[in-house]
Amino acid sequence: MKVSIDLDKCCGHARCHAVDSELFLLDDGGYALRPEIDIPPGAEGKARRAVTSCPEGAIRETAS
Amino acid sequence: MTAQPERPSACPAHDFTPYELKPLGGWTEFYDGLRAEGPVVRNVFGRGYFIPTRHEDILSVLQDPETFSSEAMVAYEPDPSYRWIPAMIGGDEHRQWRRQLGPYFSPREIERLDAQVRARASGLIRELAGRGSCDLMTDFALKFPTAVVLEVVGLPAEDLPYLLALEEDINHAIGDPEDVIRRKMTAIDAVRDYLAEKIARRRAHSADDMITKSLDIEIDGRPVTDTELLNYWQFLVQAGLDSVAGMLGYFFYHLATHPADRRRLVDQPETIPGAMEEMLRAFSFIVTGRKVTRDTEIAGCPVAAGSMVQLVLKMSGRDDSFYANADQVDLDRGTSNHLAFGAGPHRCLGSHLARRELRVALEEWHKTIPDYRLGEGRPIAEFGRSSGVNTLPLAWDK
Repeated sequence: MKVSIDLDKCCGHARCHAVDSELFLLDDGGYALRPEIDIPPGAEGKARRAVTSCPEGAIRETAS
Repeated sequence: MTAQPERPSACPAHDFTPYELKPLGGWTEFYDGLRAEGPVVRNVFGRGYFIPTRHEDILSVLQDPETFSSEAMVAYEPDPSYRWIPAMIGGDEHRQWRRQLGPYFSPREIERLDAQVRARASGLIRELAGRGSCDLMTDFALKFPTAVVLEVVGLPAEDLPYLLALEEDINHAIGDPEDVIRRKMTAIDAVRDYLAEKIARRRAHSADDMITKSLDIEIDGRPVTDTELLNYWQFLVQAGLDSVAGMLGYFFYHLATHPADRRRLVDQPETIPGAMEEMLRAFSFIVTGRKVTRDTEIAGCPVAAGSMVQLVLKMSGRDDSFYANADQVDLDRGTSNHLAFGAGPHRCLGSHLARRELRVALEEWHKTIPDYRLGEGRPIAEFGRSSGVNTLPLAWDK
């Protein structure tokens, strides 16, 4: 599974980071660091929760 | 530019004053009623403004600052004499400010303040515990975040009562609209004078605090000016004083009247962050606004350039077309995609500090005073703007 983050849409709510701070790394200003994230087996539930937790709708599941 | 659309709009019109105090729940019920009328309604108060009532339209407005500018953020003050930074600036200037301020308000930086925030909360709560009752608003909810902000910013703790008195006039004055605005403006000037003196002092003698650090901000390659610093600090201090307090009022009202939810926070403190997000959704009480820069429409309602739009964030959280059983607090809801801190590039800069304060307040309070109920006091009422409840009497067995 992969998720992608539209970094232009990210406004630093850091809700994905609150779901999993290792998967969803932030830059120094508190905005999403990486646009593409490989989700390791077992972490799919957390990844989906991060997708639905983003107020901006900036995170999408791109491959399963 | 005119403040009214040139052709009559299809959306229903109302005439209500946001300065009115209603019994707690009254404003929520009123706004829920507006949503039932249609996706956009109009209030003729002031020079008139539009109110989108659904989550998707509120979010779209917040995410499009080119069309919906934050140069005016109070729907009935379309030509403000003030220019808060970074809230009311836009474009590249805004990006430069946010880029430089972000690191001071990031989750990582705020995490480091946890012990300080916790010490402030537990100190105030321990003082109250033996009393058996309090007005949560004046005895805790207003004092705690203000004390945190003073400490973090580098302002003297003994200035707390002075700033709380000014804060009262800025956010909580009620009555004749002209008198309310006059009191608000006088208090805003007083905060400005107060901060100008502090900034001048830090220019002369630096310290290890945020005011000193802010002197290094650069815009377009030049040093920040005193006027810009004032417009920044004034907004930050005023926002920090009141918004967390307002949210605490709603949180504790809910918990005092829903013993099962309260019991869960006491017995399973690890559920507090999730519970807090759900209460933020349900009680998003901030009311903000935008000024329209070009002729456009919201949900089919024509909105002319120069018009004002009011964003009642609670209407997003309570929109049944976005959240199932939106009017119910469900601590198992498991999402935090609410707009309590806004959205788009102007997302509340202090949201991570606010979250930390709210979480710590819930954790420390329930450790020390796990069982409490509504106490005796004045009737609890709420304001139609971003000001929360007027009082929250609580009582517990000593």
